[in-house]
Amino acid sequence: MKNFTYFRPTTPEQAVALLENRWGNTELLAGGTDLHDLQKEYVAQPARVVSLSGVNALAGIRVEEKSVRIGAGAKLADIANHAELKRLFPSLTDAADQIGGPQIRNMGTLGGNLCQRNRCWYFRDEHTNCLLKTGQRCFALDGENKYHAIFSQGHRCVIVNPSTLAPALIALGASAVVQGPNGRRTIELGRFFRAPGANNEREHVLEANDMVVEVTIPRSNLANASYEVRHKQAYDWPLVQAAVSFERGDGGVRNPRVVLGHVAPTPHVAEAAARSITGQAVSEATAGAAGRAAAQDAKPLSQNGYKVKLVEVAVKRALIIAAGQKRYWEV
Amino acid sequence: MPWPTTRRVIGTKVSRLDGPEKATGRAKYSYDINRPGMLHARILRSHYAHARIKNIDTSALEKVPGFRAFHIIKNAGAECRFAGDEVLAVCADTEEHAEDCLRAVRVDYDELPHAVKEADARRLVAGQGTLGGANNPANTQAGGDFATANFDAQAYQGTSHQIEGTYGAPVISHQCLESHGLVAEWNQDQSELTVWASTQAVPNTANQLAQNFKIPAARVRCITHYMGGGFGSKFGPDIQGTVCAELARKTRAPVKLMLDRAEEVTVGGQRPSAYGTVKVAGNRQGDIRAFEVDCYGSPGVGGGATVNFNLLPYVYVTVPFIKRRHQIVRMNVQTARAMRAPGHPQNCILTDQALDDLAAAVGINPIEMRLRNLPPNDPNALKTAPNTYMARRNSIYRSQIEIIRKMCDWDRVWHPPGRGDGVVKTGLGMALHTWGGGGRGPNPTRITISADGSVLVQSSSQDLGTGQRTVAAIVTAEIFGLEPTDITVQIGESQHGPSTPSGGSTTCPGTAPAILRACEATRAAFLAAIAPRLNNAQVDDLVIERGNILNRANNERTPWRQACARLGQNPVQATGDWAAGLSDQGVGGVQVAEVKVDTETGVVRCTRFWAVQDCGLVINKLCCESQVAGGVIMGVNYALFEECIYDRATGRQVNPDMEFYKLGGIQDMPQIYVHMMDMPERGVIGIGEPPTISTAAAVGNAVFNAIGVRVEQAPFTPERVLAALARRK
Repeated sequence: MKNFTYFRPTTPEQAVALLENRWGNTELLAGGTDLHDLQKEYVAQPARVVSLSGVNALAGIRVEEKSVRIGAGAKLADIANHAELKRLFPSLTDAADQIGGPQIRNMGTLGGNLCQRNRCWYFRDEHTNCLLKTGQRCFALDGENKYHAIFSQGHRCVIVNPSTLAPALIALGASAVVQGPNGRRTIELGRFFRAPGANNEREHVLEANDMVVEVTIPRSNLANASYEVRHKQAYDWPLVQAAVSFERGDGGVRNPRVVLGHVAPTPHVAEAAARSITGQAVSEATAGAAGRAAAQDAKPLSQNGYKVKLVEVAVKRALIIAAGQKRYWEV
Repeated sequence: MPWPTTRRVIGTKVSRLDGPEKATGRAKYSYDINRPGMLHARILRSHYAHARIKNIDTSALEKVPGFRAFHIIKNAGAECRFAGDEVLAVCADTEEHAEDCLRAVRVDYDELPHAVKEADARRLVAGQGTLGGANNPANTQAGGDFATANFDAQAYQGTSHQIEGTYGAPVISHQCLESHGLVAEWNQDQSELTVWASTQAVPNTANQLAQNFKIPAARVRCITHYMGGGFGSKFGPDIQGTVCAELARKTRAPVKLMLDRAEEVTVGGQRPSAYGTVKVAGNRQGDIRAFEVDCYGSPGVGGGATVNFNLLPYVYVTVPFIKRRHQIVRMNVQTARAMRAPGHPQNCILTDQALDDLAAAVGINPIEMRLRNLPPNDPNALKTAPNTYMARRNSIYRSQIEIIRKMCDWDRVWHPPGRGDGVVKTGLGMALHTWGGGGRGPNPTRITISADGSVLVQSSSQDLGTGQRTVAAIVTAEIFGLEPTDITVQIGESQHGPSTPSGGSTTCPGTAPAILRACEATRAAFLAAIAPRLNNAQVDDLVIERGNILNRANNERTPWRQACARLGQNPVQATGDWAAGLSDQGVGGVQVAEVKVDTETGVVRCTRFWAVQDCGLVINKLCCESQVAGGVIMGVNYALFEECIYDRATGRQVNPDMEFYKLGGIQDMPQIYVHMMDMPERGVIGIGEPPTISTAAAVGNAVFNAIGVRVEQAPFTPERVLAALARRK
């Protein structure tokens, strides 16, 4: 691990002031579950590390009248186990509860989950110089890509965004409060992510001297759920995740949002699926149709065609869970 | 002395003596050894799958903080033949600085062609090969070709049903939880070397280091008090052991060199792949007449077969017509090492899954299929060695199948393949296995009884995590009328004398007879020593019963400690070694898996698992059952999760980790039900390997039973299950 200078500010303003306006030389350290791995693999080699462990303002989960505010430093385990959050936003707490293992959830934070680097095995291999480093090619495009993107719009890099909280939060209409050198601003999480294609780009739209301080979720009575298809039950990434939310109305589902995780370089909003279920009563048939709509524009790579089918199923099951119907796949 | 016919401790369930040490972290593994002034070594490895070293520039090393020494392993001009091949080692004051040192070395390579996928390597003929050396020989070589006489003319005569299927499993890694490696320390004048090595061959490791450094074997001491898994991959010091000792000598300081996780996966050992096309034919009653297999697999860059060629078909060895061909496919990945029953799981995959496919074609229950085709008890063996596997194999499997049939409620739960309502389908699958597990010597064991009543057992044999300490304590406690916790066991140190490596499931059958014979010798010496001091008792009148020495002449009982006190200043000590007659070899086992297959997602969960296992005389029933459960867990991982994935373009393994090299957690494991067949008349037989052999094939058959279509290749991942389901439609 390259040696680094360690900073431990106590306010978000101090933390941001320690950052630089280019990526790579200075990194933020929250739970450390991602950054330290990258450092040990020499994929990240910051000369300066800004620890957020002393920034108390980032902690806490506040359920207020109109919104729920979750500090960027809130631990994944705290989100997963928060009684009021569980009642309001099971899509979020279920997603948090399935991340990594207990050690990861006890250290990993909300801000880290949103800003973590992707898990592409070529990117994470010190000796493979891919597009996101200084290389000229994406090795996954025609290489080992069974866990890679099935939705791409001409992306040169076919990673999947690794955040499992993001699809749930986007479906719930959440926003990130971002501290930058010139103060705070709010970014809808639906506009927070981007597809990186070079070493000076990250998986999100933040500048190198920005940091997330809080996520706010509007309070509502939205039905919501997240469903993951997982190869392993223990410690594994989802193969495909679907997060949904909708208003329940007499005329069926209203204002649905369907957001897919682990299928594209960003969380993928499936508008066709939302249109398909709008105005329908949720049933295996209508949810299945929404699932097929969600998958219709997929362009799988050489080894991940199976994920198209998994999208169909994940959307269908998420809608059924959100509607409170019998989970027909549980025996 | 034979094994006692009535047994008070042997065969009961005894918790591991070192369980609390391990659970609390007090047990020190090689990884945990930290010596004063210790340095840390790391190895620079080729990141190309095949390349020739042009130049090695170490000039920048001196400037790296903490740098102490380096050692060249391969010089300029040498070829590296897989990603991970060793080039050079460095040591520094911390592990992190040692890692920094690796990045300060500049190695220039000429990149050479590589092949890291079996399909690619199979296409390379002589002149195109990627293995290096002169003339670039082909990557493939014949691994065996055999056919029963008149196979082509007669094999399929009178058969009514025939299936042809492909089956296989990829290269997987040992993934020892404690990686390979050691701590090496020389004495002041560098005449003696001590290593704390993670090894399954303690004296062997010491001896090899002695040879490498040209010093007397007696001056190398290998200590392995605890070790975290070897599975056949840790039989000597390896390159890292020699290099570590070399760096310790150069720096005159203790040096630690343990592989990191990526190294453990890419160089610490692999189980070779095996893929095959199998044709099986039989009659309407389910009698198999012909078994034909054409298979290949990769042992990596080295050589060697990837199946057990002469045991194809597996278990059902008396099928009348057999044809088999095997091709060895060498490619630029690490060389295979023995892995828990080398060749057997692959053989089982190629045999027992095809058997179920034929049963489905014929339309009979796979249990009936197996019962009809079991090899008969060997009549010659029945005459000469009536307790052996060969003499009893039919009877053993038959009784095991009947036991497991009841345990898993087969007749109620099993259904014809593919039947069943709902999205999630349940299936049952069975497979059979066999293994040797014979013991041998030398395994001299020394027992010392002291005046305070303590009993010390010493041997150099190692505990791989299988409960060897407890085995020694159980046997000793049995003979001396004590409890296992009364016995002190010192093992895993080479100065205790020779011992056999722990390979082939031989440790318990190799050592338990030696311990018994040491007990016998020590008991004789002990009784002879105390008889004059027990009112001049006659030695022949003295017997040891539980907690007492009984003088049968006058029915006087002397408690153990009081009797030992008569020894005064002179402890008694005697040794014993392995001898034939107390152990045997050859076991059979039957396993059944229950799976639930989500037919929408392709996700397979193994929910329940049953294993019936014979291992002769059971010494510790608890550890035996634990071994079986461990074997099943390993096999479920082989069936559902594990695969070394190599990238064609870079020649590198993309998942040298525990993230995408998947290993199930507790939620992924079935409820495991174990039935041990205690057959004490056969003596002790090893149990390490057999219970992992048939697990993957049983899971494969359960998946087939659930969904009615064969998933050809393990691991049975969602994408493969979905592809198989799509084929059915």
